[in-house]
Amino acid sequence: MLCENCKERQASVILMQDTPNGSIERNLCEKCAFNLQTFSISPNQEPMSIQQFLSQWLSGSETLQQQTREVQTMPECPECGLTFHRFLEIGKFGCPTCYVTFRERLPKVFGKLHNGNTIHKGKIPESFNEKMTIKKKIEELRLSMQEAIQEEQFEHAAVLRDEIKDWKQKLAAETEEEGGSEHGE
Amino acid sequence: MGNNRYMQNAVTGWMIPHGEHSDIVMSTRIRLARNLREFRFPIAFSDEQAEEVGRIVSEALLSTDEKGYSYTRMNELAPLDRQALVEKHLISHQLAEAEQFGAVFLSEDETISIMVNEEDHLRIQCIYPGLQLENAYQKADETDRALEKKLPYAFDEEFGYLTSCPSNTGTGMRASVMLHLPALTITRQINRIIPAVSRLGMVVRGSYGEGSEAPGNVYQVSNQLTLGKSEREILAELANIVSRLIAHERRSRELLLEKSRIALENRVFRALGTISYARLLPAAEAARCLSDVRLGIDLELIEDVDMTILNELMIFMQSGFLQHYEGEALTSEELDISRAKLFRERLQKS
Repeated sequence: MLCENCKERQASVILMQDTPNGSIERNLCEKCAFNLQTFSISPNQEPMSIQQFLSQWLSGSETLQQQTREVQTMPECPECGLTFHRFLEIGKFGCPTCYVTFRERLPKVFGKLHNGNTIHKGKIPESFNEKMTIKKKIEELRLSMQEAIQEEQFEHAAVLRDEIKDWKQKLAAETEEEGGSEHGE
Repeated sequence: MGNNRYMQNAVTGWMIPHGEHSDIVMSTRIRLARNLREFRFPIAFSDEQAEEVGRIVSEALLSTDEKGYSYTRMNELAPLDRQALVEKHLISHQLAEAEQFGAVFLSEDETISIMVNEEDHLRIQCIYPGLQLENAYQKADETDRALEKKLPYAFDEEFGYLTSCPSNTGTGMRASVMLHLPALTITRQINRIIPAVSRLGMVVRGSYGEGSEAPGNVYQVSNQLTLGKSEREILAELANIVSRLIAHERRSRELLLEKSRIALENRVFRALGTISYARLLPAAEAARCLSDVRLGIDLELIEDVDMTILNELMIFMQSGFLQHYEGEALTSEELDISRAKLFRERLQKS
């Protein structure tokens, strides 16, 4: 069946809509359902889906009312407009910026989905790897510099300060190479 | 870049039995989910962004050393052709439905598919015959590294690779192994094994993914977690579970032979008779018989049938392929007739 809204993509979501004449069913694709943010949806695919899992978890909470209020007052993603409440309903992020917007709440979500794990361990893209190495280096140098100052070895501290400056320039160059600092570190 | 090459050669690399334990393990698949930093995910992107993502990925792929990819947009393919690609495991069901902006790059030997604008901007898939987790991961990783040099991936120090679905966040990797487990199924041990495996952070399901039954006693075992474990750890855990399943299946086969040889021979040869002579062959029956004949070959009860043919028939028996082969849409009875005819022809040739 085609989506009732765009009439282009396959419908994969049944959306229940309350109208003055009772509730009606609308068959939509994921994308249109995503854009029509005010309704609640029940997916007709994937019997035990992530979205069901997440929404059950939300409604099953002991401090339901407080949770719901908190979730509803959270800011929406500035990039794609997704709200956290909506994220729990559809079980999908709208864009990479969602991860930044909802960061503080995500460890709890990931913990549920990934058996208590909330931090990535594994492959790192080379470009990020270089940046992270440089950042660590700068941090180390800064600590040494502070030590040197405390021990009144000012000449050594000055050398370290210059080194830090060089590394910072390298870091800035790395970030620029990747085409924009908008989502950069 | 040839357009419809993969529709003509119906047999693809992973169907030719090869690799370790290829009597039980049919194929190994690695899938990496990746996204571009500056774009919304496919669930929320605009038409312009979708086109842009397709263009950027094409350019990146053309500028790598990886050559010989064919590029196909979903909107250039008829629905039946898309279905045939899904049945060959070269694209996902979801990509086949992404009619407007979905596309796929296929390597010449069809072991690598790079799906564009599926649930994520990129899904890099590597599929090999037999049990080859290490090789398949290396190949997928190599492709990923080549693309990473050209594409600004969405990556976060804390959460790893950012994906549209939170169940893929982290490594973005799904490793899966397709196993033929007839003896564990006949002896009903599989019902106890599935929940045990799921407690270890792995999933067992029918070969066509979520919610599907296990036609032909083919099961897919894959990792559930993508966050908090490295790729190597996930692969090692999966390899461990798979090797235990294989050992278990082998023991059960021996036991079946020992305790009920005649019953087993009867079952195997009846199945061979059915697929060699039937005039109407419904899908469920065909899958069951293929599984029995396969078991018969593995146990050296049947000697004159080539395993490659069985792997082929497993794919060709599906409705998308049959209709592609006949060149027209078929009713359910016509499908059963066509399936029976195809089986007879293929088995006589051998």
